Amino acid sequence: MEKTHYRWMLVPTLLFLVLFIYVPVVRGGVMAFQHYNLFDLSTLRFNGVGNFISVITDKHISFAQILLNTAVWLIGSLTFQFILGFALALLLRKPFAGRGLYTAFVFYGWALSGFAIGLTWAWLFNGQAGLVNDLLIRLGVLDQPIGFLSNPRLAMMSVIIPNIWYGVPFFGIMLLAALQSVPNELYEAATLDGAATVRKFISVTVPYVKPTIVSTILLRTMWIVNFPDLIYAMTNGGPVNRTNILATQMINKVFKEYDYGQGSAIAVIIMLLLFVYAVLYLRIVEDSKEELL
Amino acid sequence: MKRRSPYPVIRFLLLALYLIAAIFPLYWIFITSLKGPKEIYTMPLQYLPNNPSLASYRKLFSFSNFSTYFRNSLVIALISSLLAMAVSIFSGFSLSRYPTKRTKGALQLVLYFTQTIPTFIIMVPIFTMFSRLGWVDRTAALMLVYVATVVAFSTIMSKGFFDRIPTSLEEAARIDGCSMFQSLWRVILPITRPGMAAIFCFAFINIWNELFLAVMLLMSNDKMTVPVALNSFISKAGISWDVMSAGIVIALLPTMIVFGFGQRYIVAGLTEGSVKG
Repeated sequence: MEKTHYRWMLVPTLLFLVLFIYVPVVRGGVMAFQHYNLFDLSTLRFNGVGNFISVITDKHISFAQILLNTAVWLIGSLTFQFILGFALALLLRKPFAGRGLYTAFVFYGWALSGFAIGLTWAWLFNGQAGLVNDLLIRLGVLDQPIGFLSNPRLAMMSVIIPNIWYGVPFFGIMLLAALQSVPNELYEAATLDGAATVRKFISVTVPYVKPTIVSTILLRTMWIVNFPDLIYAMTNGGPVNRTNILATQMINKVFKEYDYGQGSAIAVIIMLLLFVYAVLYLRIVEDSKEELL
Repeated sequence: MKRRSPYPVIRFLLLALYLIAAIFPLYWIFITSLKGPKEIYTMPLQYLPNNPSLASYRKLFSFSNFSTYFRNSLVIALISSLLAMAVSIFSGFSLSRYPTKRTKGALQLVLYFTQTIPTFIIMVPIFTMFSRLGWVDRTAALMLVYVATVVAFSTIMSKGFFDRIPTSLEEAARIDGCSMFQSLWRVILPITRPGMAAIFCFAFINIWNELFLAVMLLMSNDKMTVPVALNSFISKAGISWDVMSAGIVIALLPTMIVFGFGQRYIVAGLTEGSVKG
């Protein structure tokens, strides 16, 4: 009787998830094995792994390049988001006047649209009259404006910087919450044992917040790989595919070429790569735990 | 004697530097929106506008249907987040009080897993499903998808808020003759109001910011949302950055306001469970 009520209360949520998330995910998995082009639906048929082969052996857009771009985008963004976010959390750990207000301001970034932030930074990096060019000219680094987003050597850096800017608050929030749960007695005990600040950081802080570090890095990895909005707004994968990651390539297959089969194949590749990553990552984390013990 | 540590000063400087870096891009897009079309392209740039004016906003609203786009976004985000909030109140409450441990754990796992599915992966199959149903270019259909994209995390958040409320409260209400729904409605919901507000804010922010599903599912110009409109500006020849920056400011403002209201609870909710975004 009681249980029936609880069951009914779950129904609307489960319906939403099944109809609009899980059925589409399965449907997308099927489409990855179909020749499915919106321009020519008369050719709709199963074509085995044809889409995967087409994507991987694409002559115009090297798949190896896209994988490399995705790796650079991920590692560059994640490393600096983590380091700066951790630093921010450490700076905010001890209370000071106005800390609440400061934290609120800094964490505002979380609420902002990735797409609008991408457009904002496209303007900051503008090759004609961008703020970055203006600052570098004032500082005497540059003589005249350069096209950060049109220069193949600078484009990737120019999309990673905004992504770092955008992601630091996330690590900041999560790590600050974890740091605040470290019992003060641990630091006091370490101080009594004569531990220096660095030593305390390595032996007390890091082990205590390690579970948060592990889970935030995993979540953030998935999120960065699945985050085409910013690149889409700034360069849409250009110039000459230098900023084209798997996610933007999928968007382009869908929005530009209307090739839903190949688009879905890329989506499947992304999901598979992230799944393998998650399994390996968690295994490595588990192993290192045993070694430490 | 204790030596005075230089740490507070260094900390102050670093935090100040970070704050400037965090705010400056937003300041810059705002300042750009107040400048004239010639001024924004003239180097060296002005860090304070010479003649601040709202001309670019006027241009934005006259040259496109921007007020329509804004209204569309507002209606879509408001209705879908209210719906998501309502639905996740029930599912969160149910999960929090569910009697069978196994089912509870399995359901939670499903919710966390759903969190890892990005929206752009479902946009193609949703489009083909909807075109068969004749649901493409229907605002209501897009709203249903939006509810689905936020409902997993909303449920996780809502469960967290209900977990903190002792069951003795409902039990007392039940003894007084309330049904389960009555006790949820009259006794528990009033206490968790801040939590529910946080769920609403979370859903609103995510839905307001969504771009790809809206591009995919909305066709007519008078149904476009703000992000879709900004996206169409990129490809439109002759759109200048004074108008664009005004559009960006308008795209950013509502979520900033909503986040301002819900910030404390959102941060609490985010740090509790898994996180999207």
